Amino acid sequence: MHKPDSHSVNLAAAFGFVLLAGVLIVLPHLLSFSQQEVLVLLVINVLLVCSYRLLTLTGEWSLAHAVIMGVGAYTSALVAKKLSVPVPLAMLAGASMAGFIAFLLSFPLFRMKGFYFLIASFAAGEVIRLSWKWSDLTFLFGGPKGIKRIPAFPDFLTIDFYEPVNYYYLCLVVVAVSLLILYRIEKSRIGLTFHAIHWQDKLAESVGVNTFRYRTLAFVFSAFFAGLAGALYAHYVGAIAPNRFSVEEMVYILIWAIVGGTATFYGPIIGVVVLTIVNEIVLRSLGVEEMRPMFYGALLIIAILFLPNGLESLVPKIKRLFRGRDKEGNGSLASPQVAE
Amino acid sequence: MTSKFTISRRDFLATTAAVTAMAGVSMPKFAFGKDNVVKIGFLAPLTGEVSAWGKPGLDGCKIWADWVNADGGVKIGDEAYKVEFIAYDDEYDPSKARTGAVKLVKEDDVKFVMMLGGDPWPGAAPIAEKENMLFSTLLPSDLSPETELLVAPCEVHPIYNVTGVEWLAENKPELKTAVVCAQDDSLGKPSVATYLAAFEAAGIEVLDEPIFFDPATTDFAPLMSKMLALKPDIICLDTCYADYVHPLVEQAFQQGFKGQMISCTADFYEKLVEKTSKEFMEGFIFQFPDFDDPAMNAEHVNFNKPNDFYSEYVKRYGKGEWSAVSWEYASIMDLWADAAGRAGTTEPVKVLEAMKVGGTGRQAFGEAKWWGKELFGIDNALVGEWPVVAIKDGKAKIQDFKSIPAWWEKHSDLMIKHMKALNQMYYQRG
Repeated sequence: MHKPDSHSVNLAAAFGFVLLAGVLIVLPHLLSFSQQEVLVLLVINVLLVCSYRLLTLTGEWSLAHAVIMGVGAYTSALVAKKLSVPVPLAMLAGASMAGFIAFLLSFPLFRMKGFYFLIASFAAGEVIRLSWKWSDLTFLFGGPKGIKRIPAFPDFLTIDFYEPVNYYYLCLVVVAVSLLILYRIEKSRIGLTFHAIHWQDKLAESVGVNTFRYRTLAFVFSAFFAGLAGALYAHYVGAIAPNRFSVEEMVYILIWAIVGGTATFYGPIIGVVVLTIVNEIVLRSLGVEEMRPMFYGALLIIAILFLPNGLESLVPKIKRLFRGRDKEGNGSLASPQVAE
Repeated sequence: MTSKFTISRRDFLATTAAVTAMAGVSMPKFAFGKDNVVKIGFLAPLTGEVSAWGKPGLDGCKIWADWVNADGGVKIGDEAYKVEFIAYDDEYDPSKARTGAVKLVKEDDVKFVMMLGGDPWPGAAPIAEKENMLFSTLLPSDLSPETELLVAPCEVHPIYNVTGVEWLAENKPELKTAVVCAQDDSLGKPSVATYLAAFEAAGIEVLDEPIFFDPATTDFAPLMSKMLALKPDIICLDTCYADYVHPLVEQAFQQGFKGQMISCTADFYEKLVEKTSKEFMEGFIFQFPDFDDPAMNAEHVNFNKPNDFYSEYVKRYGKGEWSAVSWEYASIMDLWADAAGRAGTTEPVKVLEAMKVGGTGRQAFGEAKWWGKELFGIDNALVGEWPVVAIKDGKAKIQDFKSIPAWWEKHSDLMIKHMKALNQMYYQRG
């Protein structure tokens, strides 16, 4: 059987990367005004769901990720609005605060595993979210109405970041760098340890791996990038409120991750892109505004029934199709549990 | 075989007359020009837990448009314009509201955007400012001095809630104590402040602190038990969404409450009557009439053919589907069409000027004035009289129309005090 050499594989990867970059650069200019708005939020959500996947590498699924995103959004908004700190620095402060909160939460949360961790993370998230609504703290967080008139990303030379195309490019750069970091973490020894903890935590402990520390590390990294996504969101929309980071939003993150799949780095990205296009572009353009939840729900059920390993499981099939290897019968799918 | 077709002179004349008459009936009074369509944006929640205050409004607008278009359209300058509504579901989310506002204004070329308001408004606000677009809200608590292109020309939530309490105090003076609950959000907070002010003005004691429950609450039994433990004469459900009012009322019924209930809305109240009983719902006070009410034919009411509107709504969407907002967006359209007609243009800023000329306007329930500087920092809310409605024998009946400005004259200090205490003054919000 012919096996492609590493040179041709690298060449193909480079070509694919350049093609993808080209498409992403040209894309907003092919879209309508409102689709450009959707595109900005989509790019932010790509970072959100990819950051969530980092945590799932250790085998833990949190229900606090939307709230952690909110921590980044609130911190960045407050630092920029109340302390007049430049927005880019405020964003970093938001991401850092999200990481710090995750660090604090890790002490009680990682005393639990599995289902107990899931429920405890939900409770911890709700405590944070409800504190934003608490009357005594309204002077700070704005109560149920939240914070509005959040300073926008400052103009750079003649670039006005109110324009969605410009903000999209900013987000694209931030998200691309973030994804690169997340990818490098996953491919590093730390990332391999995350996998080890997921599948053989007792064995890992027996060879000296401090599973608590590694779980904390995954949680903090994951929270940092979720916080960054929150900051990008806050300074674009200009308003945040506690309900924006409720369990309903968390369900969306879970759906993106589950439907896309979490076995590969690109799985959640496929999930968020496909589902956003279906929900925000296709179903809206059909003029079925009031029926969208029904159609969306039906599509989710179909996806889960017929693609239990997520949309990512289609990618090897498509690759084989292009390579014409189907006839060779050499195509059992890679285990979804093995990270690409 | 050949057929022989003959027509008499009498038949010819009769047929011609009938066809001419039918054509005359079916033709609009004005012929629309080729491109004479004015588009109106409808940006509100059409799905999710707040959709009960969006979707029925869109349904009402469809009736409004059909009637106006059948009658020749809106006359602006020398031309008649057909009205077309373009809806976008904002899901009660500011980012979706921003996307929706961009689509409506920049792609669909609408001349006016109606919103429910509340949480989504801050997302749409920059679009209103940058694009110079006129927006309306049903929630004047969105108003602030920075939002000159936002108006509240119909509903003056939550200020009109004072009229229900005032009516209760006048007509049921034996009621001395109340408890208040609301969901903990941007609708619940200012509404609670309003009820607290109204109860204080009426000399009704509010037992304990208001209960703010989380919008994610699904089990209302403990909450109702807590309220009933205080043995109140009145249970006030504030401005709870329909999804909360129904289970709360059911709980009050199941836990044996016998006293008075008051709420801002009682949407789909016929279902409440079915779930409880006519006896239990008797005397339930709220603020939104059915438009088949004979009192809606009073001379001061400005809404066009309210009884017929209600019948048409029930015919199209079903009995029991009428809600607080079924008529409100349509009522705003009356005001907009009138202002656009007087301005002779659909340009948003000019329409706003025409709308506010003289400082008064024809609100649905009568002549009203543009007001709100003290509470919202800007006079962009149209405030006048508002009905007090009670359920009588399973049917909503207007009890009275009461003046909000008259109440404000006497008790503005109380309102400001409670709004401040809950951080709801325009300068305290966000």
